[in-house]
Amino acid sequence: MRLSFILQVAKKEIVSTLRDRRAIVSSLLIPLLILPFVMLGLPLLLGGLFQREQSNVTEIAVTGLEYLPPELKTELEAQNISFSETSNLEALVRDGEYQVALSIPEGFNDKLESGEKVSLTLISKTGNLRSELNASKIGEAVSKFSQAIVTQRLSAAGLSAEILEPIGVETLDASSDAERSSGQLAWLIPFFIAMWTLTGGQVTALDATAGEKERGTLESLLVSPVRRVEVVVGKFLSTLTFGLSASVMAILGYLLGGALLRSIFLKQLDEGAEEVVQILGGSLQTTPLSIILLLLSALLLASLISALLISITMFARTYKEAQSYVAPLSFVMIIPAIGLQFSDFFGTNIIVYLVPILNALVLMDDIVKGQVAFLPLLATWASLIGFSVLFLDFAFRNFRREGVIFRT
Amino acid sequence: MITASKLSKSFAEVKALSELSFQVNSGEVYGLLGPNGAGKTTTLRILATLIEASSGTASVNGFDIKKDAEEVRKSIGVVNGGMGLYDRLTGKEVLYYFASFYGMSKAATDKRIKELDDLLDLGDTLSRRTTGFSTGMKQKIVIARAVLHDPPVIFFDEATSGLDIMARRAVMNFVKAYPSQSRAVIYSTHVMSEVEELCDRVGIIYKGKLIAEDKVEALIEQSGERNLENAFFKLIERSGSEMHT
Repeated sequence: MRLSFILQVAKKEIVSTLRDRRAIVSSLLIPLLILPFVMLGLPLLLGGLFQREQSNVTEIAVTGLEYLPPELKTELEAQNISFSETSNLEALVRDGEYQVALSIPEGFNDKLESGEKVSLTLISKTGNLRSELNASKIGEAVSKFSQAIVTQRLSAAGLSAEILEPIGVETLDASSDAERSSGQLAWLIPFFIAMWTLTGGQVTALDATAGEKERGTLESLLVSPVRRVEVVVGKFLSTLTFGLSASVMAILGYLLGGALLRSIFLKQLDEGAEEVVQILGGSLQTTPLSIILLLLSALLLASLISALLISITMFARTYKEAQSYVAPLSFVMIIPAIGLQFSDFFGTNIIVYLVPILNALVLMDDIVKGQVAFLPLLATWASLIGFSVLFLDFAFRNFRREGVIFRT
Repeated sequence: MITASKLSKSFAEVKALSELSFQVNSGEVYGLLGPNGAGKTTTLRILATLIEASSGTASVNGFDIKKDAEEVRKSIGVVNGGMGLYDRLTGKEVLYYFASFYGMSKAATDKRIKELDDLLDLGDTLSRRTTGFSTGMKQKIVIARAVLHDPPVIFFDEATSGLDIMARRAVMNFVKAYPSQSRAVIYSTHVMSEVEELCDRVGIIYKGKLIAEDKVEALIEQSGERNLENAFFKLIERSGSEMHT
């Protein structure tokens, strides 16, 4: 193989792709912008909503307001709850006119004062975040009031409130800082890297293989002194370049999103909203080592995806036909990404790190969470290199077949 | 300069070529004449080392097509009617790209592009991206690409198909001017008038077999007809009845 010929083929494909404005937007600009949007947008949106719901006065539908103890009313008002006396509470909540409703039975206060067991009915919509948030505010106020009555009654009987809780449980989070701060959306990062590698790589791969056949330029290339193996490797390198560039853009987007969130937006949220942002993965921590490992893993994943793309699209006669071949590959990325959410259950099994694509996603998830180990890293990288070589060899063998090159 | 000896080629059940033998000498334009599907393109693809013959041998410019495939490719230029161009590159960039595979320096490439510009009147096709080129403009760059390295052998395969009369004339003038003592051309077509005007000798291919080979005048004389077209049909008819018996 002659390096200069390989580079000439790769350079030509890179120049062609760079001159395709739509390809640049879809494979380089969008991944740079979409990750910050997901990282900032979603958590900030939810955090903001949480903050708004906490601070806004929420009007709830009530029946039997006159039976509500004044202390509990004060407690609820302190939680920014106001009351609207009405009837048919369940229908009002179901129809969305009120987020929450509270039914206070007749003689509630009197019974409470006489020491009887009493119940309130809280009506909310399960599955509606806003409704549940407001219901939890009411629940919290009622619980606080209930606790005060218990303390008062025990005290009157000469007992301490601690008698009710003889055993206390303290929880200690053993996660590392990176793990703790990686949040619920951390799995999206490897998923996005894989998806954008596929999107970025396929623009070049389709044009370099099926596009070349469709235009009628492949035959002129093959009658020149360049060897077929050099053509395949050149096209692979250009596909790799764009696949990797798209995934680097996705990583940059992720770093940008994290930095912006930490330095600007997190400070503007109050404690409760900040917690929501943390849970959703808005404060991911990265070290230089984790970035290097992430980049190397992305490179190897890009090489596997590029080899796969070249070996598949080569069979197509036209660009459109190649697109239909490549479309199912998205599922190859999506299915492991779904599994990634449950990675805690299989994360320790080394076999997972040998399954191509799934291994890269799990490994990158580990890197993002700061819990990567040497053996899984080695197994993943070796597997990705091995499968890349296999697919490239497959592509080269097919590129020599007349039935593939001159398929009509 | 070009020798094909008992070339055969089968695609699954279909026999595309059957023991085809012919020779093309230096300074000659050799016409490959035959109907569509006769085996002309398959013959040229084998000689250009794009596909392998099922049996038989051939050499181009002294190089064996199997053993010295790369030397063969250095010695040839190929122009066919279906060849396209890279639409995001300019005409000049296309030529630079291919020149790099022939080891041509930038200065040598520039000099050669200037010569080809004079010869083919490339004009602004060099500086413009090839997208939107007319068929004639495209074919000029395709020819320039094929002869960029000044190859001793050129294969033209239905090179004028789809061209308007002016572009077709330009291609034919180029073919006429190209052969010299050290060059040879194979001109494959089904257009009789082009063969009559351009070719020194003609091989008629029918169903993968070479059924006649001679100078145009001699073929007409052999058939007892008045022109090449009638001679062609008579020879094919005769060959068809021989194949059936």
